Amino acid sequence: MSDDAILSGIAEVAHRHLDWQGPFTPEMRLVEDLRLDSVRMMTLAIEVENRFRVLLDEADEGRIETVGDLVAIVRRKLGV
Amino acid sequence: MSESPQTLIDYLERITGRPDAGLRFLDRGEKAHQVGWAEVRDRARAVCGGLQELGVQPGDRVALVFPTGLDFFAAFFGTLLAGAVPAPLYPPVRLGRLDEYLRRTARMLEVTKAALVLADARVKRILGESVALARPRLGCRTLDELPRVEGRPVTVAPSDLALIQFSSGTTVDPKPVALSHRAIVAQTEILNGFWQDTDALRHSCVSWLPLYHDMGLIGCVFPALSREAELTLIGPELFVARPALWLRAISRYRATISPAPNFAYGLCVHRIADAEMEGVDLSCWQTALNGAEPVAPSVLRAFVDRFAVWGFRPEALTPVYGLSEAALAVTFSSIHERFRCLRFDRDALSRGVAAREVADGREIVSVGRPVPGFRVSLRDEAGRVQPAGRIGRVWIQGPSLMDGYLDDPATTARALCDGWLDTGDLGFFHPPDPTGELFLTGRAKDVVILRGRNHAPDEIERAVDGLPGFRTGCAIAASWLPEGAEGELLVLFVEVSRTAPQSELAALPERCREAVLTATGLAVDRVEALAPGTLPRTSSGKLRRQEALRLYLAGALTPPQPVTPLRMAKAMARSGIAYARFRWSRPVDTPHE
Repeated sequence: MSDDAILSGIAEVAHRHLDWQGPFTPEMRLVEDLRLDSVRMMTLAIEVENRFRVLLDEADEGRIETVGDLVAIVRRKLGV
Repeated sequence: MSESPQTLIDYLERITGRPDAGLRFLDRGEKAHQVGWAEVRDRARAVCGGLQELGVQPGDRVALVFPTGLDFFAAFFGTLLAGAVPAPLYPPVRLGRLDEYLRRTARMLEVTKAALVLADARVKRILGESVALARPRLGCRTLDELPRVEGRPVTVAPSDLALIQFSSGTTVDPKPVALSHRAIVAQTEILNGFWQDTDALRHSCVSWLPLYHDMGLIGCVFPALSREAELTLIGPELFVARPALWLRAISRYRATISPAPNFAYGLCVHRIADAEMEGVDLSCWQTALNGAEPVAPSVLRAFVDRFAVWGFRPEALTPVYGLSEAALAVTFSSIHERFRCLRFDRDALSRGVAAREVADGREIVSVGRPVPGFRVSLRDEAGRVQPAGRIGRVWIQGPSLMDGYLDDPATTARALCDGWLDTGDLGFFHPPDPTGELFLTGRAKDVVILRGRNHAPDEIERAVDGLPGFRTGCAIAASWLPEGAEGELLVLFVEVSRTAPQSELAALPERCREAVLTATGLAVDRVEALAPGTLPRTSSGKLRRQEALRLYLAGALTPPQPVTPLRMAKAMARSGIAYARFRWSRPVDTPHE
């Protein structure tokens, strides 16, 4: 799966489960730009896991600050 | 066992191993993993042996960091069997900033004086920094890393500590509540009194509440254990992402009891699609407890309106009031009748007088009457009993009060007085005597309550220190339940610097929101930038949070002006002596700049 496909998958999750309407790019920061509080962060984590059928790891998760970081982790988990 | 149980261990020892009861853990695909109570006990015994071999002594504190799962139960009850005291801490928030989490956890370990940390393998991998900072005597282990040795029975007295429960404040002002076996058993029996099993009906419970939360652990786990009943658990993060899992589980397992804070009922209304409710029948749900944060009338009605079509019974919704310091429940509204929302005269409420009902008044939910064994008394600031019909501080007395805040006699002495606990909440009785129902109007204590969790305002205020244009140390965070709102709003008052350029001032509210979100994971609903010296302070210069909120809600949070006799007279007429005193006692110019 390409980075673009992963990005659009995450964008779909954000749109569907977090009501995100605006642009969605790898540079965007989860907290500052997407405005995710802790409850919405949980939702994003779970729904990304559901969407890609991967399990994220707490140790990786703590270092995710941007959408691009999340894409990279999902790619690694998918082994592509 | 024929005698009545005195400790949590007594509950564990009298398990008979019923095949039809126990824990059921649901995963995200709604697959169930079932574990009988006898297996929980056996796993706990194994953990107990390991802990003893490791060197855990009776009275040692053991911190537990686990997601919802069987390991939490083995660790929790194993710790108790070894005569040690479990302190459940929360696991990392999904996608949260790790540095913040590790710092908080280190602080909680220090305050707990934990001898050992037991953690899930995934959590343990990231806990290194916290453990290095707090240096528990026996380090950090997973359950698999414990020695495999037969445990030795330890005698535990009802007065021994059974649980360290963090209520609010984790970094700045941690207040771990110390609860004895006696208190927890008393609370468990109180709760069981509300849902007694009969031959025709054995109650069962579904919960997504975190196990480090009092309503999850004391409200759901101990009653189920003590009655050897069925308890279905869902991870809190699964509920938050897919609230329908909760209602579907209640329906599928024909649960009779399920509690949650106000926000959860609102989340269901907004986030569950009709398609997710296909085949769901909520008619089995007898008691939908709603507590742990102020209850919004609009949410109760919206939930009934939305889910009645799937069999939800309006009389199931039961607003309750409780707090960690009382182990849990203090008052219950009737579990058989529909919740009661009454409207009270706003002007009277603002004057501290309650009882008048008016058609267009402020709507407040009844949280009912004291649970058996509890008494509620309304007091003034000096602790004197208020005359009938006045709003007062809610003082409580009952068999499940905490021993105190852990290792903190000074804070304990401020909360506990002659066997009474000053909750810091404000309320009144209606009808206006102690046999009336309790209605809560607000808080005198400094605590922010959001989504069922308490937060120390200091942590929110500290997040904005150092922002350009802001006067460091001059911020107040407060939350309240506005009329008609579905939950508490978080407001941040910040005083701007007199010398800040316009560009900094314009950007300040946004920067404050970002800083708080980053540091605490909380979204600020409103930022109010104020002129220097606007926030009320005590004579020693300490910020007065509840007074700031009161003035703000009265539209009176304005910059100080020179005090003239005429202005003073007007102020007294408007808001009474207290307001005038506050203006006198506060410096008129701004020594903090």
